[in-house]
Amino acid sequence: MSAEKFLEVRGLKKYFEVSRPGFFSRAAPRLVHAVDDVSFNLRRSEVIALVGESGCGKSTLALLLMGLEEPTDGVISFEGQVINHVSDSDRKDLRRKIQMVFQDPYESLNPTQTIEEVINEPLEVHGIGENKKERDQRVKKALEDAGLKPAETYLKRYPHELSGGQRQRVVIAAALVLEPEIILADEPVSMLDVSIRAEIINLLADLRITRKIAVIFITHDLGSVGFFADRVAVMYLGRIVEIGTMLEVLEKPQHPYTKALLSVIPVPNPRMRRERIILKGETPNPIDIPSGCRFHPRCPVAIDACKVSDPPFIKHSQTHQTACLLLVK
Amino acid sequence: MDNTQNQWTDRWQNFWRVFKKSRIGIVGLAMLALIMFMAFFAPVIAPYDSSSTQDVTIDDIYNPPSAAHWFGTDDAGQDVFSNFVFGARISLMVGFFAAFISIVIGGTLGLVAGFFGGRWENFIMRFTDVMLVIPDLPLMVVIVALTKPSLLNIIFVIGLLGWTTTARVVRSQTLAVKSRKFVLRARAVGAGNAHIISRHILPLVMPILVVQAVLVVSLAILNESALSFLGLGDPTALSWGQMLNYAFGRGAMSIGAWWALFFPGFGIVWVVLGLTLLGQGLEQVLNPRLDTHHLMPSRPVIQSSKAALDDTQALLKVQNLSIHYVNDEGKPPARAVENISFSLNRGELIGLVGESGCGKTTLMLSLLRLLPSAGQIVDGKVFFNGQDLTALSEAEMSKTRWSGISIVFQGAMNALNPVRTVGDQIAEAIVRNIKDFPREQIQARVIELLDLVGINADQKDAYPHQYSGGMRQRAMIAMALACNPQVIIADEPTTALDVMIQAQILELLDNLRKKLGLAIIFVTHDLGVVAEMCDRVLVMYGGVTAEYADVDAIYNQPRHPYTQELIKAFPDLSKPKKKLSSIPGYPPQLDNLPAGCRFAPRCPHAFARCRVEQPSLHNLGDAHLASCHLVEASK
Repeated sequence: MSAEKFLEVRGLKKYFEVSRPGFFSRAAPRLVHAVDDVSFNLRRSEVIALVGESGCGKSTLALLLMGLEEPTDGVISFEGQVINHVSDSDRKDLRRKIQMVFQDPYESLNPTQTIEEVINEPLEVHGIGENKKERDQRVKKALEDAGLKPAETYLKRYPHELSGGQRQRVVIAAALVLEPEIILADEPVSMLDVSIRAEIINLLADLRITRKIAVIFITHDLGSVGFFADRVAVMYLGRIVEIGTMLEVLEKPQHPYTKALLSVIPVPNPRMRRERIILKGETPNPIDIPSGCRFHPRCPVAIDACKVSDPPFIKHSQTHQTACLLLVK
Repeated sequence: MDNTQNQWTDRWQNFWRVFKKSRIGIVGLAMLALIMFMAFFAPVIAPYDSSSTQDVTIDDIYNPPSAAHWFGTDDAGQDVFSNFVFGARISLMVGFFAAFISIVIGGTLGLVAGFFGGRWENFIMRFTDVMLVIPDLPLMVVIVALTKPSLLNIIFVIGLLGWTTTARVVRSQTLAVKSRKFVLRARAVGAGNAHIISRHILPLVMPILVVQAVLVVSLAILNESALSFLGLGDPTALSWGQMLNYAFGRGAMSIGAWWALFFPGFGIVWVVLGLTLLGQGLEQVLNPRLDTHHLMPSRPVIQSSKAALDDTQALLKVQNLSIHYVNDEGKPPARAVENISFSLNRGELIGLVGESGCGKTTLMLSLLRLLPSAGQIVDGKVFFNGQDLTALSEAEMSKTRWSGISIVFQGAMNALNPVRTVGDQIAEAIVRNIKDFPREQIQARVIELLDLVGINADQKDAYPHQYSGGMRQRAMIAMALACNPQVIIADEPTTALDVMIQAQILELLDNLRKKLGLAIIFVTHDLGVVAEMCDRVLVMYGGVTAEYADVDAIYNQPRHPYTQELIKAFPDLSKPKKKLSSIPGYPPQLDNLPAGCRFAPRCPHAFARCRVEQPSLHNLGDAHLASCHLVEASK
């Protein structure tokens, strides 16, 4: 199992240039370190959750994996083949295999297209389906697999006639119609009501079982990853600070940032109100990365050494790793 | 293909249905249609052949309007009405063809600049700017004077110079559409530029282009008239401008033959006015940006007896409040809120929980009497410090608003004015509501308020965009605190924020409550947040109370199936492997409510009675209320 090469990310970096200081200036341009040395791998039909606050680079990472941004450095390989610099035609094949679900179901559907047009579009782009009948069948199957049954009642409707949860299902159906192997879900439930969130998460969880789809689930809410993620990676300022299986991260968190994130997740029971570790301030901007450990200015337990040295990854188990100086023995 | 045709008829019918309501648009369309009809049937309508000068005698020159010549005759003894009818053909033709050229050029350049950006955009937009700076008319005069003043030349000159505004409008719309998520999604699917432009950009640029086209046509007609009037028109094509030119140049003014000048001038004004009105009408229908709705004080409430002091000590007491949205098409009103009662004591924090569209925000806005104009309080009372807010005049109400009850909206970026500093906006909130606030103390008060919400005084003069999301929400809270209110309504204040920032804001609200004795109504769909900090919880479903109880009872002995299901759907970190249960279906539409219990269609325990009879609110003791037939049975 571990020998199988599926999706591998090694030392991935993406720096954006902010305004140059001036046309004639010799000063180096300032850089946004959106993704700064990220490595992980994903197995077939595995669900990995990427967790972090806004500004931690998780959305940029998603765009890199989709090939919608070019990495500054590092390697993304899929089934043993490096995919970060591929020609457009190869990219098109890859696109079929890696599909994306966006955060905002109100914005990610074109208001002038019917649901049928939305789902049919990917087929058309890739020239899939011998004839209209076959395409129609694929469209209907995708809709029903995404839980919109019976499909016929949705085909002719427009996005504004559907609720938020239904729209997100349409977006998922549009991804499913290409029969992908990986779905990248960027905060797919954060715009939805809590009652609907469970539905969408359950849908994604079912798909990995019925269709063997691997899911990269990007979220800021550690609370929502519990039931369906196999592994959790916690990101801070462009880097993964802790990665492990879901139970390892949720039950034995090692990094102070993970501990703080876990402590502020509301527990739906007033009898279990507990001490929260509320971090001061917000994620600093990724232009001026703090020296040493990038978390030290907000870390409640930082020591002097944290200001100087960048912590290496410490292995706690075969699967569990944390980048924190306090854990170096 | 049958399919797409149906869709287009659908779209067209939709468009027409909305357009019909725009009176301006209809008037414009009618004005234009009249002239076009006249131009089209000119040979039938005109009583005389336009260019014939046969049988003209000296007596026929500059005759006033008469039965034989409705609009009189001109310097050549020709019938002005006939010339007017044929002139419409020339003027409209020049207008439409020139506008077509402008629209194609401007549309293409705008689309390319907006879509591809970078060097192309820079080049095209600088060129457009240069063209905009050069005054059109003098340039046209020069070009037409240098070339042969034929109709074709005039069309091309007007067309080639009239595309600048179109390019700018199309570019900005393309930019707006391009940045929307569905374009990114199409890219992620693997679509190329041509596909994205034809399927996603053009359909959303088209409406604006249509509006623009109408305006460009009217501009082209005006330009043609101006050129002809200056004597640069095609001498063989008698347009309205040309008629003016001849009449003016051949002494119509000095003779007093007003008709030779008035009618062509009138034609130009008529068409341009018609096109402008049509453009405005189209814009109202097609431009989605104009489709916003405004909050305003609601219409007077229906019942208005001044109520006596209520007996309880509650700071805020809502009694049997019902709010309906009236709609103009004779459909039944949307029953957004029905028979809601709750009370709030000093320093108490009540959670108002429900899915989107269940009437939470309507209920909150009604407490401030800030409902959209279609919203009416049809029944019930709201007592604040013993005074019935529903019976107050607007002037009295404005005293309570903000200084008695204030509100923190969701989405702080939209609620703050982007071009004014945060300190300035807080100062305004103070001055607007406390008329005699001493001027010299305002800045000190602003700093005090910012300090209260944890913002440094040196951030006072920063603009909202320089603030982070969490800071903006803090600034909104500072603004709500400006007049020392007793009650703060927090309408989903943390929905768009990260969990850590959410925790910071919740901690802030909790501290403020302890420090200032504030009573807070916390509106949210997030049960976890409610469990963390509220004293009492009101669960709303489809505009009615589902359950109302102490926070502990809500989570540990929920009685209404909706509450039970909501709790089950919420991820609990202490049981990570547990599969989440979801509530099938969707909340009811408030203008199409089920006959019985509003939750029945989604309820796992519903039985026959639930589908026909609406349950009443049952008191289960300890101020625990639930509206469910099952509760009644077990009582």
